[in-house]
Amino acid sequence: MALPTQVEPSFLHRLAKHAPDSGNWTAIREQSLKELNASPFPHKKIEEWRFIDLKPFSKIEFTSLDDAGTLPATDIEKFFLPESDRSRLVFINGRYNEKFSSIGGLGNGVTVGNLNSFTDNSVVEKYLNKLVDYENDVFVPYNGLMFEDGAFIHLEKEAKAEAPIQILNIYTDSKKAFVATPRMLVVAEEDSDVTIIEDHIGLSGNEYLTIPVCEVKTKQRAHIHHVRIQRDSLNALHVSRPIAYVEKNSEYHSYTINLGAKLARNEPKVIQEDEEVDFTLDGLVLIDGEQIADTHSTFDHRFSHADSHQLHKVVVNGKAHSIFNGKIFVRRDAQKIDSFQENRNLLLSRDGLVNTKPQLEIFADDVLCSHGATIGQLDPEEVFYLQSRGMTEEKAKEVLTYAFALETIENMKVESVHKLLIEEVYRYTKANSVAKITA
Amino acid sequence: MSETKALEAMIGEEYKYGFSTDVEYEDFPKGINEDVVRLISQKKNEPEWMTEFRLKAYRAWIEMEEPSWFNATYQKPKFDTLQYYSAPKNKPKLDSLDDVDPKIRETYEKLGIPLEEQKMLSGVAVDAVFDSVSIFTSFKEKLAEAGVIFCSISEAVQNYPELVKKHMGSVVPIRDNFYAALNSAVFSDGSFCYVPKDTICPMELSTYFRINNMNSGQFERTLIIAEDNSQVSYLEGCTAPMYDEHQLHAAVVELVAMENAEIKYSTIQNWYSGDEDGKGGIYNFVTKRGICKGDNSKISWTQLETGSAVTLKYPSVILKGDNSVGEFFSVAVTNKMQQADTGTKMIHLGKNTKSTIISKGISAGRSNNSYRGQVKISKKAENARNYSQCDSMLIGQTCGAHTFPYIESANPTGKIEHEATTSRVGEEQIFYLQQRGLSEDDAISLIVNGFCKEVLKELPMEFAVEANKLLGIKLEGSVG
Amino acid sequence: MLEIKDLHVVVEEDGTEILKGVNLKVNKGEIHAIMGPNGSGKSTLAKIAAGHPEYEVTKGDILYNGESILEMDPDERAHAGIFLAFQYPVEVPGVTNTTLLRESYNTIANSRGREELDPLEFDDYIKDKLELVQMNPDFLERSVNAGFSGGEKKRNEIFQMAVLQPKLSLLDETDSGLDIDALKIVANGINQLHGEDDAVVLITHYQRLLNYIEPDFVHVMIGGKIVKSGDKTLAYKLEEQGYDWLEAHAKVNGEAV
Repeated sequence: MALPTQVEPSFLHRLAKHAPDSGNWTAIREQSLKELNASPFPHKKIEEWRFIDLKPFSKIEFTSLDDAGTLPATDIEKFFLPESDRSRLVFINGRYNEKFSSIGGLGNGVTVGNLNSFTDNSVVEKYLNKLVDYENDVFVPYNGLMFEDGAFIHLEKEAKAEAPIQILNIYTDSKKAFVATPRMLVVAEEDSDVTIIEDHIGLSGNEYLTIPVCEVKTKQRAHIHHVRIQRDSLNALHVSRPIAYVEKNSEYHSYTINLGAKLARNEPKVIQEDEEVDFTLDGLVLIDGEQIADTHSTFDHRFSHADSHQLHKVVVNGKAHSIFNGKIFVRRDAQKIDSFQENRNLLLSRDGLVNTKPQLEIFADDVLCSHGATIGQLDPEEVFYLQSRGMTEEKAKEVLTYAFALETIENMKVESVHKLLIEEVYRYTKANSVAKITA
Repeated sequence: MSETKALEAMIGEEYKYGFSTDVEYEDFPKGINEDVVRLISQKKNEPEWMTEFRLKAYRAWIEMEEPSWFNATYQKPKFDTLQYYSAPKNKPKLDSLDDVDPKIRETYEKLGIPLEEQKMLSGVAVDAVFDSVSIFTSFKEKLAEAGVIFCSISEAVQNYPELVKKHMGSVVPIRDNFYAALNSAVFSDGSFCYVPKDTICPMELSTYFRINNMNSGQFERTLIIAEDNSQVSYLEGCTAPMYDEHQLHAAVVELVAMENAEIKYSTIQNWYSGDEDGKGGIYNFVTKRGICKGDNSKISWTQLETGSAVTLKYPSVILKGDNSVGEFFSVAVTNKMQQADTGTKMIHLGKNTKSTIISKGISAGRSNNSYRGQVKISKKAENARNYSQCDSMLIGQTCGAHTFPYIESANPTGKIEHEATTSRVGEEQIFYLQQRGLSEDDAISLIVNGFCKEVLKELPMEFAVEANKLLGIKLEGSVG
Repeated sequence: MLEIKDLHVVVEEDGTEILKGVNLKVNKGEIHAIMGPNGSGKSTLAKIAAGHPEYEVTKGDILYNGESILEMDPDERAHAGIFLAFQYPVEVPGVTNTTLLRESYNTIANSRGREELDPLEFDDYIKDKLELVQMNPDFLERSVNAGFSGGEKKRNEIFQMAVLQPKLSLLDETDSGLDIDALKIVANGINQLHGEDDAVVLITHYQRLLNYIEPDFVHVMIGGKIVKSGDKTLAYKLEEQGYDWLEAHAKVNGEAV
């Protein structure tokens, strides 16, 4: 790939000088720096960024994490999942916090800990930064250059994690805006099984940018259930790049719940490495005010026999703006692919905006691929039906919005997460007091 | 296959069936600059404002960059060596159909093109009874009776300057895109149609066109205006394989529909698509756009795209008038090394505007077929509705089908529904039909026609049958 | 009319042998029933006679009117008068029943040197045939098998048989999925269509169709071979005793049954 030789330096290029020099990942840093220097900060002329309003980036003056004057994390116990009492890693602004973390309740064959303590681990050596896709922009290389800590989850053959693993990312208040670089590596060996809850929480309303990069390897017959909840500060910027490789007969199911951040750009990618795989990339986006939520997802079918599903639901209120670009690739020789993508958008307000681009790129003939996308308001028939059963119009709309959003979280395996998300949906529906909607 | 050979023979270097390359060009400089643009205008005896229009477009064009965002790769045209003006050609005349390459005739026969028309298409002198001039005259009389103006755009510039001045560039502005700017600077000829108030055009503007407007040149310009309460249906192109020595075709079509007016525009495109290895073939880069200017107006695009090496074309509708309706029905077939990136834009501005998109893409051989569409409901478009359905069918394992729908809504009362599916011609389907006595090619043709049915039924009756056959011919031998 | 000689057939994709030496002779005017448990190769026999591309003949021959048809394409066999009523009729969205039948009828007519029918004549011609299977005329304008119920699909197959007037009809599990009323209609249709100049081969898992259509011969197929042939009483015996006794019989007698 030809990289541009000269790029306009952005704040991330400038902050690169704060890269840790005593770090453990020399090779990764070197490669990342090279990529960073060759990659431009996104702009609207790039197709993948054409709908995104990049103003939030330019308005904020970012400093390095060390110069930001971050405040300590307090009262975070309420975010601990009861099921993950002994299977929890906590990161404050991207840095590992041993005090809040709790590991040891996972059973045989399951290794969980801070990446920084596993620098000599052969699995880490084999996979860390090897699965990423640089995408020709600044975010992944910036993370690669800056990260020191990170979550490491490894399941040996046939290992089953006895409890869901919670990766809790806390962002604290600060005097200045900082950039955090959370990192994750998940390797599930043959026949293993794990549930991961990745949570991003902003404690205050401060400005910061977080760039989580997550690499997942699902080996033969392994199962991963990966929930990602984004509850960042409403002034935060969130750019995440999770990537998963799935091997033969394995299953990878990912659910992303987007609630916070001023601007959230989420780019999940699943790459099929062999035949007979099953994967899901569901998403729920609930935004209001001036929030922008942008999901660019990719299914890359490279071999025959895959079942892939995507249900991406979006509710937009206020002046919020949702963008969805769901790419489904079916490469040559990848036959018998059954891929289904559905994107449903509920636009509640006069000033909201929805862009969607469900994209199919098919190079094999024996496939069944379909997608559907809708943008609209609540079905007046349904509203009327509920009204005829005695509800006020406002209540009917509230109930229907709630029901619309709820469908995506039905698959949550962890009880407390399910409950938590139901509450979040309820709060959103209430707060948006759908009564404001002009019919 | 026979079609390929027919075409190859038709454009082959030897021209052994009597076609001649030494078409008489006037001595005209190659390449493009302001003087060339002026010269074109001068040759056509155009008024000052038209020359200015062209020059303005040229100046815009030289500042623009050739686009590359579409899903196609090809050798860029060399703009400085093109010949931008050629005098009307003297087509060589053959004495009878017997002199025409039998393979070409075979294709005509398969398509069911009437004998007299075959003659015209293949350049055989036609007898007096079916003379194009007489047809032209009788059509003209009938149209004139109704008050419909239908003539070449060059004539319109001379005879109806006010109408042309008012509308040309009003739907596709000079700077709209690279190829539209180029067309605005150097357009050769094309059609002009004006349907006055309260008038229903008495005939399909098709048969006449098919015979007479074959040689509008590579930079065709069409303008259709339908005044209040009027209706017109227009068909361009024909199913017969068309050869043109110009590789680049950059046409501009503008449609204006006033209150309660309805314009139906159908296209059948079957230009030479190049050989098995992608050598040769036409580049078809067209800008087609209509505006539903008045309330309750309607514009409907139907297209059957089967030819050309590269097709980039997005017939669009701007739904400005309240309650206006935009439609797009498309079948795009690609085979061999063809590349088509085609679709539509429906821009909803008015209240209660409605649009429908039905797109059927069929890819075979080593071709790539892309649907690219945009549906936009703007803030003020209350209760706008769109329904889109984009289906792709793949035949064989070396082709590609792509769908790029851009969907945007900024109004909560709007509703957009988009569906897309990909499927294939199944072996079991073919066997079933063969068991009922159909040959493999007929079976495929029948399946494909079933797949495209919703679009084909939108074509004017007399072309639907030919269109059916054309699809079959295009896909002959593509399975197996 | 049809003579199958020591026919060995494999699945083209993976080489699995399905038919392991089938012999069968069907004469004009006869009705044969081929019965057997699931997976015995009955359906394969019908498909291979119609020229299904999924299978390959490795040994033996199929003669039709004395000549081998192995090299003939499926459509050529159809022209020659072989008709297969599919066990799972295929859906062809967008193509109406009328369109398919007119195309089929005219190509077959053409190949047999008969007059083609124009759309109006054809309409009259098929209206009569509709009654035979008691189908509603709006059925004609629906897409071939698309959205049909299982019973409708089967009746549609017999309707097509009526229209195309084949010489040799291979009816592959035409009775499965039919309720008793539909079964009677279908059986009645087949009986009416059958005459002295044509032959019918019924492939069925159950005996119940044979209550309505009387076969001249009954053959039992097990493990890719015809293990027993007889008259219609054989069918009654199968109904009472199942296939077990024959399977055991086949084992005792080895490959030579």
